[in-house]
Amino acid sequence: MRRYIDYYLASMRISILQQFQYRVANYFYMIGMIAEPVIYLVVWSTIANQQGGVVGGYTPGAFAAYYIVWTLVRNMNIVFTPYGWEERIREGSLSMDLMRPIHPIHFDIAFFAGWKVVVIVLWLPLAAFLTWVFKPTFDVTWMEAVVFFIAIWGAYLIRTMLLSLLGMITFWTTRVSAIFELYFGLELILSGRLVPMTLMPQWVQNLSTYLPFKWTFFFPIEALVGGMSTQDLWAGVGMQILWIVVGASILSVVWRAAIRQFSAVGG
Amino acid sequence: MSTVVSISQLAKYYQVPEREAGLKASIASLFNRKYKNIKAVDGITFDIGAGEVVGFLGPNGAGKTTTLKMLSGLLHPTSGDVRVLGYEPRHRSHDYLKQITLVMGNRNQLTWDLPALDSFDLQRAVYGIPADQFKRTRDEFIELLELKDLVNKPVRNLSLGERMKMEIVAALLHQPKVLFLDEPTIGLDVTMQRRIRTFVAEYNKRYNATVLLTSHYMADVEALCKRVIVIHHGRILFDGDLSKLVSQFSSYKTLSLSLQNTDVELSKYGEVVGREDGRVTLRVPKAQTSQVTARLLSDLQVDDLTVEDAPVDDVIDQVFSQKEDA
Amino acid sequence: MNPFKLAWIYLRIGVMNELQYRVNFFIQLLQTSVALATGLIGLSLVFGQVDKLAGWTRAELLAVMGVHILMGGVIRSAIQPNMERLMNDVLNGTLDFALTKPADAQTLVSVREFRFWQLTDVLVGLVVIGVAVNQLQTGMDALQVLAFIAALIMGAVMLYCVWLMVTSIAFWVIRVSEIVNLFEGLYAAGRWPVSVYPDWLRTGLTFLVPVAFAVTVPAEAMTNRLTGETMLFAFGLTLLFAILARAVWLIGLRSYSGASA
Repeated sequence: MRRYIDYYLASMRISILQQFQYRVANYFYMIGMIAEPVIYLVVWSTIANQQGGVVGGYTPGAFAAYYIVWTLVRNMNIVFTPYGWEERIREGSLSMDLMRPIHPIHFDIAFFAGWKVVVIVLWLPLAAFLTWVFKPTFDVTWMEAVVFFIAIWGAYLIRTMLLSLLGMITFWTTRVSAIFELYFGLELILSGRLVPMTLMPQWVQNLSTYLPFKWTFFFPIEALVGGMSTQDLWAGVGMQILWIVVGASILSVVWRAAIRQFSAVGG
Repeated sequence: MSTVVSISQLAKYYQVPEREAGLKASIASLFNRKYKNIKAVDGITFDIGAGEVVGFLGPNGAGKTTTLKMLSGLLHPTSGDVRVLGYEPRHRSHDYLKQITLVMGNRNQLTWDLPALDSFDLQRAVYGIPADQFKRTRDEFIELLELKDLVNKPVRNLSLGERMKMEIVAALLHQPKVLFLDEPTIGLDVTMQRRIRTFVAEYNKRYNATVLLTSHYMADVEALCKRVIVIHHGRILFDGDLSKLVSQFSSYKTLSLSLQNTDVELSKYGEVVGREDGRVTLRVPKAQTSQVTARLLSDLQVDDLTVEDAPVDDVIDQVFSQKEDA
Repeated sequence: MNPFKLAWIYLRIGVMNELQYRVNFFIQLLQTSVALATGLIGLSLVFGQVDKLAGWTRAELLAVMGVHILMGGVIRSAIQPNMERLMNDVLNGTLDFALTKPADAQTLVSVREFRFWQLTDVLVGLVVIGVAVNQLQTGMDALQVLAFIAALIMGAVMLYCVWLMVTSIAFWVIRVSEIVNLFEGLYAAGRWPVSVYPDWLRTGLTFLVPVAFAVTVPAEAMTNRLTGETMLFAFGLTLLFAILARAVWLIGLRSYSGASA
């Protein structure tokens, strides 16, 4: 166990050192990324103003708060792309990964976790700037902040499981673009990335409770800005843990099958 | 000497879909999938003892890399037995992986943007090497390969040869008992090749490690291996002392001549194996090389003359053709 | 050589090349369909709450979406591939090949790449526009159609000029690929008519990244909002951008040729 902690710390250290070297590129990427939530924010604020200041329980200030926190959660959601698995298998780097006496997924998790640390630090001035421009209404309690911090890492882990599973389809077929694109489309709508889930029709909201997507996006944001009850906050964390456990179990089964397939055919 | 690697009737067959070109064939293949059986490794058997350095020789596609991959657990054999250090490699147990290492010539394990030292530390964490043992081993290797000034430079700033040295150090930090080296010196200049060979030999001596080395370069094998295994078409053609292989099969030298007049009768100098556009290739018994060269230079108008060892592929072909005759 | 003839030659080669990869058509179609579906869902969410957004009705916003998709297809098939290749050439020093050909360098680097299958987006955009015009019930007369086409062309030219100017920064700064990310993000703003955005944002979207002119103005042509003034202004702006882009290109080129020894 100690060895795993040591490994995670060593990998995160390498990742932080590396990503810090690329801080300019990282910044440009993050700046380009804020276009999406700003557009959503502007459109919904316009609607709110047209409707006399509120729509679906959100004021423009509340929308601003939602979409500013969105930018951090969106960054926490970025993990190894499923498209990357094709290159891994083809280029042979997977073979070298398999030679290590540690499951390759630990490196993925640790590496991106280190990257997230850099991202969080880079995000703070960006958030300050957005707050100055869009004037969100923030009313955060200590409990909410704590749950938020846990929830963003929970979201990170859930999405890692999901996209790793998706990427592993590549072991059986390389014609994966269609599946990936469909997945991303569904995720966009069902996770709270497009709009807060509470603005969706009821049946969509019900559906999303049984799917993992909203726990990677909507829940962390709402934990911070939504004024949820203590019970709901911790129940949400519980759901995240549930999805991580489910995801990890499915992952280990699929992984074993994938490696069997890989070892039969060769890289 | 205890047996470290034990292979018995090991085989790896692939089924590759076969299809001819053309529209009709495409449609036909929808209904009747034809497969071709590729025998990458076709029943090989050998044992290797602790501390041995064994060279795998063979042309491309002979089955060398496939065998190494089966020994390191990356490929599952189709049939046969394989045991390394008492483990079945395909189970890829963590204890097994901690005792072996696989080095492939053009694969990068090191983090590109950071100094090699950082990657070494990561290796320490991966293999769970105790801190003081790690420091000792690392410093020992750095000294052996004279890397002190280079370990703090980002890996992307190193030359290809320097990078390869770092890769090998990283691969050996956990003091593996068995080394699988797949074309480790490919693409390197002669000096660098020699340095790496010396290092591997030194590691083998100090740690009594077993080394399996595949290579295209006869020089690698000549420098490091007492024993060679020649593989061709997935079968072993020769397994024994290197000296015997060299004396038996590499007893020829190749002379390459540029002549003014290529119509000259050359068979009295040696066996003519190629003649085109002013260049003639002669095969000459090793012992007679200097004699024949002198005669050629004095008898004929020679623009250019080069003397080369018989290429490995020729040697293999010779070995193969000899087996066919026998 | 005449720039149109040059473009035609490269187009033919590009198309022949890409026709081999018919599967790309379906992949592209799927991607666009998913994007369209999410766009439509977004639209219906909005119109679940209001009847008009910043004065635009649902059918009109559908028209805007159609133009956005169409223009996106034009960018990704004709403009972006060329600019990305230009960036790479400057980075790797392979621009020399283009400079030693007997054709105007700017034309050459702007027409030699063409991603045929991205035209799927143009097709889908046209379909959406068709549906929107149908729903608009007011129909379009010949003059409107002409204005629409003119607005599209001017918008495309403006986008091309801005892309060229930003890419030309590579002559001085070398690594501009991150800026492409910014661009793509900013183009996404064109999904909605520019009047939705607050004033300060509107200026940026009109002059910095002329998304407003590329998408909103053609949409205005369709929805009876277009004034003669706007058209004139668009024409003037296009001219200005074209001259600026040419100037920046030539200056950049001079600095590149001077630098490489």
